Amino acid sequence: MLKVENLHVSVEGKEILKGINLEIGAGEVHAIMGPNGSGKSTLSYVLSGREGYDITEGRVLFNGKDLFEMSVEERAWAGVFLAFQYPVEVPGVSNIYFLKAALNGIRKFQGLDELDAMDFISMVKNKMKDLDMDEKFLYRAVNEGFSGGEKKRNEILQMSVLEPTLCLLDETDSGLDIDALQIVAKGVNRLRDPKRSFVLVTHYQRLLDYIKPDYVHVLAHGKVVKSGGPELALELEEKGYAWVDEKIAS
Amino acid sequence: MSVTHLPNTHYTSLLSAHENNLVGQDVSWLNSLRKKAIEAFSVTGFPTLREEEWRYTNISPIEKKQFAVAEKPGKLDAAFVKAVLLEGCYHLVFVDGFYQAEFSSMDGLSAGVTVSALSEGLSEHESLVKSLLDSTVETPALGFINFNTALFTDGAVISIEENTVLDKPIQLAFISSKEAALKLTNSRNLVLAKASSKASIIETFHSVEESCHHTNVITEVVVEPNANLSHNRLQAESLKAYHIGGVYSRLENNAIFNQSNYTFGANLSRCEIHGTLGEASDCTLNGLYVGQDKQHMDNHTRLNHAQPHAVSNEFYKGVLGDNSRGVFQGRIVVAQDAQKTDAKMNNRNLLLSDRAEVDAKPQLEIYADDVKCAHGVTVGQLDETAIFYLRSRGADKQTAKNMLTFAFANEMIERIDFEPLRMAVLEELLKRFPQAGMKKEWL
Ligand SMILES: Nc1ncnc2c1ncn2[C@@H]1O[C@H](COP(=O)(O)OP(=O)(O)OP(=O)(O)O)[C@@H](O)[C@H]1O
Ligand SMILES: [Mg+2]
Repeated sequence: MLKVENLHVSVEGKEILKGINLEIGAGEVHAIMGPNGSGKSTLSYVLSGREGYDITEGRVLFNGKDLFEMSVEERAWAGVFLAFQYPVEVPGVSNIYFLKAALNGIRKFQGLDELDAMDFISMVKNKMKDLDMDEKFLYRAVNEGFSGGEKKRNEILQMSVLEPTLCLLDETDSGLDIDALQIVAKGVNRLRDPKRSFVLVTHYQRLLDYIKPDYVHVLAHGKVVKSGGPELALELEEKGYAWVDEKIAS
Repeated sequence: MSVTHLPNTHYTSLLSAHENNLVGQDVSWLNSLRKKAIEAFSVTGFPTLREEEWRYTNISPIEKKQFAVAEKPGKLDAAFVKAVLLEGCYHLVFVDGFYQAEFSSMDGLSAGVTVSALSEGLSEHESLVKSLLDSTVETPALGFINFNTALFTDGAVISIEENTVLDKPIQLAFISSKEAALKLTNSRNLVLAKASSKASIIETFHSVEESCHHTNVITEVVVEPNANLSHNRLQAESLKAYHIGGVYSRLENNAIFNQSNYTFGANLSRCEIHGTLGEASDCTLNGLYVGQDKQHMDNHTRLNHAQPHAVSNEFYKGVLGDNSRGVFQGRIVVAQDAQKTDAKMNNRNLLLSDRAEVDAKPQLEIYADDVKCAHGVTVGQLDETAIFYLRSRGADKQTAKNMLTFAFANEMIERIDFEPLRMAVLEELLKRFPQAGMKKEWL
């Protein structure tokens, strides 16, 4: 589904990603771990098409197509979704309208008609129930004044409404209390599907207790320095990133 | 060296050419008022860029175009009128500056309320008209005021008796017909809200065609003690029109006046919202101007805090796209006696293109020492991060921008309590920033 080949990315002349290689097959769950500042969010943003990054080398194929040839919204239409580490506040735009505009954009691309307003609302309300979100959030401005945990939950709500095929979750678990973590994890698990892949950026094993990854990668200094199975995360939890650094050094 | 501005003889000669065609031609005090006004106008002419209050707005196209006076109302399609009339209102319709009874309706108007077109009710309400006309405008009057006084053909006279609450808003709809092309219309509205009364007035301005015409309309408002008047203005004229408007108000003690001003139309528009605030009166000014193409929109507010304990809250927002230009000049004068004044002014502008421009100029003149005055002006662009966020969810770039622009402007529209007006203003906004599948109730 996603193939990242020798990806080099700079911001303002400073190289941040230094040759990333990653292959993610349909239905797989990959976890990316790594120290602060190692480039995890940069990778997520570059995949979703945010401006301000210079791609100096390499390429990314999404279902065989060059991702960098696609605009931000074309990627969303094709099924790429990034749950932001820091979800953006959009004053004056209600959550319900935001969801509707997003879903309409995607449905239009798929050649589908707009969903009927009633069907749409009841669909969204059902998904909110699953995520234990109060309906009043529908009519509040997107993320404005939401608590950290509420913002993260809202990202997952968007993901479950839009049903993307590649879900990038950038530290969705950070800032969630234990109950919220379980709810969010359940939300993600509900979306698991042989045709849908997940990339979970996280610092903590606890998320991976609920969402079991197929692969774990360690990103450090802009490179994937180690890849392995779920046991790698446990090993990291035990030994810390210093252990990985030592291994690179040796 | 001072250069004298020579008044345009095309315009100065209009009164003598048309005096037999104007409302109240047999009323001698009115005739002499008109004469005095045109004489004053013959000295000053229209304002020029050299005047401080007009330095951002060049009205020379009005001079050059030599608009002719509209002498009679053009024909109107009933469907057009129906579309611009708001539900749940009394309606007075003026076409090319002339009252049209066939489109108007005052049915069910309660006792204690006088609503009449000047052309129909001048003799009946002569003393009311006389007491209001030219009573709230500045002296010496500006060129456009004198021009209007000299040449107004019609307008509304409204009076709400003491302790009377009007059950529905009164809509004054000013429509320029096809025949209005290259013509000018002058209208004058006079409003008196007597003590402890309550009423709402909505003025709307429309053009049947995208033609070039000139509208000059002045509304004079007196709000007596403890009365509560709401006045709204929706200017949605042709993008080729020249619109000069003014709302001049006097708030007496403990009066409440809420003025809202929505500007979408006209090639060039200038709107004066002036108020003199009596003791413990409360004045709210809300405004939104949305410019596109080469539109020029100038809003000029002036609040005179003449007495103590009055409160004013002013909030204007501007959205300027393409090559449009906005001007906001907000002036607050606090007189020496006006202690405990509480005046707030806020102007926020959103520029949608590098070619759009805004000149925002708050002016505070404070002569009292115990007052609270605050003002703020911002000029900004759409939030790139928010655009990215919306696009990353599947909204295309234009939709994302429209959504954010809409949200910015909607803050001013949400403040409209009266739903039919709110929907009409929303419609104007949506026309300019379309958003598929939007449900107004979700805003
Ligand atoms: N716009 C930018 N301008 C300058 N430096 C940037 C920019 N974006 C990212 N960086 C730098 O790139 C490096 C990687 O940042 P990134 O946010 O990708 O790290 P991360 O792995 O997500 O870290 P964390 O675990 O703290 O979220 C950091 O050193 C950061 O300061
Ligand atoms: Mg990060």
